[in-house]
Amino acid sequence: MRTLFRSLVITALAAVPALAQEAGASSKVDLLSPNYGLMFWTLIIFAVLFFVLAKFAFGPITKAVEAREQALEDAIESAKRDREEAARLLAEQRAALDATRGEAQKLIADARVAAERVRAELIEQAHTEQTNMLDRARREIEAEKAGAIAQLRREAVDLAIAGAGRVIDRNLDQAANRQLVESFLASVTPAAVSASR
Amino acid sequence: MKIGTFVIALLLSSTPLAAQAAAVDSAAAFAARQTAREVQGTARGEANHAGGEHEACGPHVPGDIITPHITDSRCIEYPKDGWRIWEPAEYVLPQWAPIHIGSFAIDISPTKHVVMLFLAALLVSVVLITAARAHVRHTHETGRPRGFAAGIEAMVLYVRQEVALPNLGHHGEKYAPFIMALFFFILFANLLGLIPYGSTATGNVSVTATLAIITFFVVEIAGIRAQGPGYLNTIFYWNKDLHPVIRVAMFIIMSPIEVVGKIAKPFALTVRLLANMTAGHIVVLALIGLIFTFKSYVIGIAPAAMAVAIMMLELFVAFLQAFIFSLLAAVFIGQIREAAH
Repeated sequence: MRTLFRSLVITALAAVPALAQEAGASSKVDLLSPNYGLMFWTLIIFAVLFFVLAKFAFGPITKAVEAREQALEDAIESAKRDREEAARLLAEQRAALDATRGEAQKLIADARVAAERVRAELIEQAHTEQTNMLDRARREIEAEKAGAIAQLRREAVDLAIAGAGRVIDRNLDQAANRQLVESFLASVTPAAVSASR
Repeated sequence: MKIGTFVIALLLSSTPLAAQAAAVDSAAAFAARQTAREVQGTARGEANHAGGEHEACGPHVPGDIITPHITDSRCIEYPKDGWRIWEPAEYVLPQWAPIHIGSFAIDISPTKHVVMLFLAALLVSVVLITAARAHVRHTHETGRPRGFAAGIEAMVLYVRQEVALPNLGHHGEKYAPFIMALFFFILFANLLGLIPYGSTATGNVSVTATLAIITFFVVEIAGIRAQGPGYLNTIFYWNKDLHPVIRVAMFIIMSPIEVVGKIAKPFALTVRLLANMTAGHIVVLALIGLIFTFKSYVIGIAPAAMAVAIMMLELFVAFLQAFIFSLLAAVFIGQIREAAH
């Protein structure tokens, strides 16, 4: 197969100039002989193009793309860092919240215990005070009663004596006694009696 | 690749036949026209000038529409007047005296393909540098490119990240601009051959050979820079694991093969690009030639449709061959740099 292709090419290339000549051309069609002037120009044009493109086109584009890639990588990296940081902070916060909650529970329990104690103390104190007040009231009542009884007794004695005195006076002079007792009774007041004593 | 070679062979062999057929018809008409022109020219006293101009554009074979299209010439064609696009005017490029280096003379007068290469380089520069500036400006403003610059970035990055860097090996970034420049230069030169009045400079062996030779030197220099003295192992086969006698024998046998291997790579690059870019144009022109051979509008429809299809294929091939040339350059550079490991 290869040989066939090769022979075809060779035949074709060989045939071209001959046939072209037959058609009336003075020179042959030559596709494969190099033109050094064209080679020189190709070299110059490509070399200049290469340096121009490398400096003004590929350089800036590559740099911009690399900068963008770098920026994207940085963004991804920092996002990852931020997420880790956020997760860490969240865990921290959660732990702190748990600790706080425990502490609050403890505080409430303590407060409850303290309040209980205070209430018991207050009740106790109230009881004691009540008892004291009752005792004192009782003692005062007793004292007042004793005073009143003694005074009543003295009044009774005075009245009895005064009455007895009037009776004695009457007996002495009926009319005169009566008048005397009556005038006395009219003038007498318990205070005056006790004062006259 | 083989299909391309086959097609070019087939068409090269058939071209002159078709040309001959056409020539029989057109020769008489051409001769008559030529005579009329000469008579006119003589009347104006410009016979020498007219004749000289015609000669300056290279040999003209009556009826041969393919050869002038695929070969270089001293003239460039441009539209003469707005509507009659099939009758281009020809501008004769200046002819300079050859430069002598010792006994070796180089004629560096510009030719059609030089102009096309220059245009391609100019277009590549304008497009890529404009895009790069827009790219940098947009990136600065919004952090990303927009529109045309983004499209160019996609192409540049594709060539860089998918073609160049994976094949160049570790720390091959400094060779990436070379691969990218090759790709865009060849691409634009290929595409310039597809537009009216254009010519395919990459269908000229001098151009492809020069690009391949540049690639060859870049590959070898990359090898020397990557391997240092170990580079000599890529030329001289000296395997220390072998028995001394066999080692010497292998050295004598293998070293020429290594050298041939080195030369075969740029040769393959040269012929691949040349043949592919030439083949499509010949096919298109041969199909169009059929229309004039048969001189029938009805029969003309099929070749015209096929020519359009081949042109679309050519558009693809323009990209493909630029891709392959730069890919292989990257692979060769990567290979010789990897050989150290």
